[in-house]
Amino acid sequence: MEERLIDSENRASAKPIIEFRGVSKTYPTGTHAIEDVNIRITAGEFVFVVGSSGAGKSTFMKLIMREEKANTGIITVNGFNLTSMPRKQVPMLRRTMGIVFQDFRLIPTMNVFQNVAFAMHVVGASDRDVRREVSKALSKVGLGHKARSMPAQLSGGEQQRVGLARALVNSPDLIIADEPTGNVDPNMSYEIVSLLTEINKRGTTVLMVTHDHNLVRDFQHRVIMLERGKIVADNAGGSF
Amino acid sequence: MKISGIKYLTGEGVKNAWVNRLMTLASIGVLVACMVIIGLAILISENVNKAIGNLEQQNVVMAYMKDYSWALYGEKDTTSEAQSSEATSDAVAEGGEDAVAEEEADVNGIKPSDYVIHNDDEAKALCDKIAKLPNVASVTYVTGDEGLESVKKSMLEGQESYFTFLDEEYGNPLPGSAKVTMKDMSQFDSTLEQIKQMDGISAIQSQDDLADKITAIKRGITIAGFWIIVILMVISLVIVSNTIRVTMYNRKLEISIMKAVGATDSFVRIPFVVEGILIGVISALIAEGLLYFCYRVATETIISTLGTNDIVRYGDVAVMLLLIFIGIGVFAGVLGSVIMISKYLRREGSEFAAI
Repeated sequence: MEERLIDSENRASAKPIIEFRGVSKTYPTGTHAIEDVNIRITAGEFVFVVGSSGAGKSTFMKLIMREEKANTGIITVNGFNLTSMPRKQVPMLRRTMGIVFQDFRLIPTMNVFQNVAFAMHVVGASDRDVRREVSKALSKVGLGHKARSMPAQLSGGEQQRVGLARALVNSPDLIIADEPTGNVDPNMSYEIVSLLTEINKRGTTVLMVTHDHNLVRDFQHRVIMLERGKIVADNAGGSF
Repeated sequence: MKISGIKYLTGEGVKNAWVNRLMTLASIGVLVACMVIIGLAILISENVNKAIGNLEQQNVVMAYMKDYSWALYGEKDTTSEAQSSEATSDAVAEGGEDAVAEEEADVNGIKPSDYVIHNDDEAKALCDKIAKLPNVASVTYVTGDEGLESVKKSMLEGQESYFTFLDEEYGNPLPGSAKVTMKDMSQFDSTLEQIKQMDGISAIQSQDDLADKITAIKRGITIAGFWIIVILMVISLVIVSNTIRVTMYNRKLEISIMKAVGATDSFVRIPFVVEGILIGVISALIAEGLLYFCYRVATETIISTLGTNDIVRYGDVAVMLLLIFIGIGVFAGVLGSVIMISKYLRREGSEFAAI
């Protein structure tokens, strides 16, 4: 892992886990999605990313996941220099992060246990490790008793918690949650953000995109506000 | 990769084929059809080659010798006359006046210097000389008497009396001959020319047309067989690719999650390759069984109807056919899946955020 610039010990310090320096992204259609963004997120932070539709939130997340490449500027995530990183290194980058989707993305033909185990099989974990870690992850999200249930038998909130267990199971340094409360009721939204906050307290950096201003106000974390591809606010403590 | 990983991916491949079983069955059906047609082309080609081999064996060249019968009955060209006179001159030079005096004509007016092959030993020596030609497969010496017997047998009752009369009155009209078979019919003409040039050969009886026809048929069958196999291989490849593509789109969600959690392209690819190989191998086994059954029924009918037993046995080609089928199946499975999944991953497979 040559692209890895800093080791886990350094990440635990104040070194940035995500850093954008003069980053711009323009799509071939001519849309300026991100313009000259400079941001620094350190290990262990919980950051809300807010902004209206078309503000550039999705592109911001895609750039972090190296789903898109910046036109200009330098992006560093988890010690990987995303600007110079070859495509074949992308899987290694993604193994350092867990992703939670708004639409859960659970495989309907697999039960809860299999859905979470799937993320471990993909990175080549042994069957014994899979059994142990999946059980742990499901317990963390409070679904240990529903391991054999199928996704269709779960509520929206439960499904999202399975998604969260899947994101956690490989012990990532960074959780990226793309509107994880977008498809669940307000009570369940609080439960999910509480879980994320708990995970964050154990040292995992959390970056969460949301539209829910109440959540942002109530949980009092750092807020980055995007508008027309630019950062218009970057405030600590839930104010924006 | 760890054994658990291989086990998992292989299991996923088998699961893919099962979940997508209707499409898998359709692919197996088309692949089996392609393989059976390829197998039939091979079996037809093998049988035609066998029949041609028999024809080649029958396409015997008779090289007649310049022996006593030739001197008695044969039409001598100027070359042979010149040879005879040369032989006489040589005899004169070697033996002088006495040699000329010793050479007396027999009752038929034939002198030893009038012909080249005087006895069986000389005839056999000439046969050995022919046998040494590179394209000659076999040479058998047929004496004049044997030749006459053979001719008589081939004639209707009463017709052979003419030859009997000639034989009794003047002597056997048929000269000794070398019965020659060739290895490669495409070199037929040049070999024939080499035999013609040999001292002691008067004439050659052959079926030039048949040799040409055999060579043309062989070439035609080889070319047709090659193209049939190429076309059906391409069809097999397209069919397997299509099935893999359907599976791939059915598993779009899984692929997107795989990519999101850090699966490498090869990890995503392996279950599809396993599925392709599985389809190929199952098709090969079915095609082999089906072809065996069809061929057995066909050959039994041919044998009982035509009474011939000169047909290639399935057992002789079974292993070769199975290997060809598995080869085609695995080739189509691996290549089809690799092409499809690579195309997918390059274009849209990594767009996990865009589903």
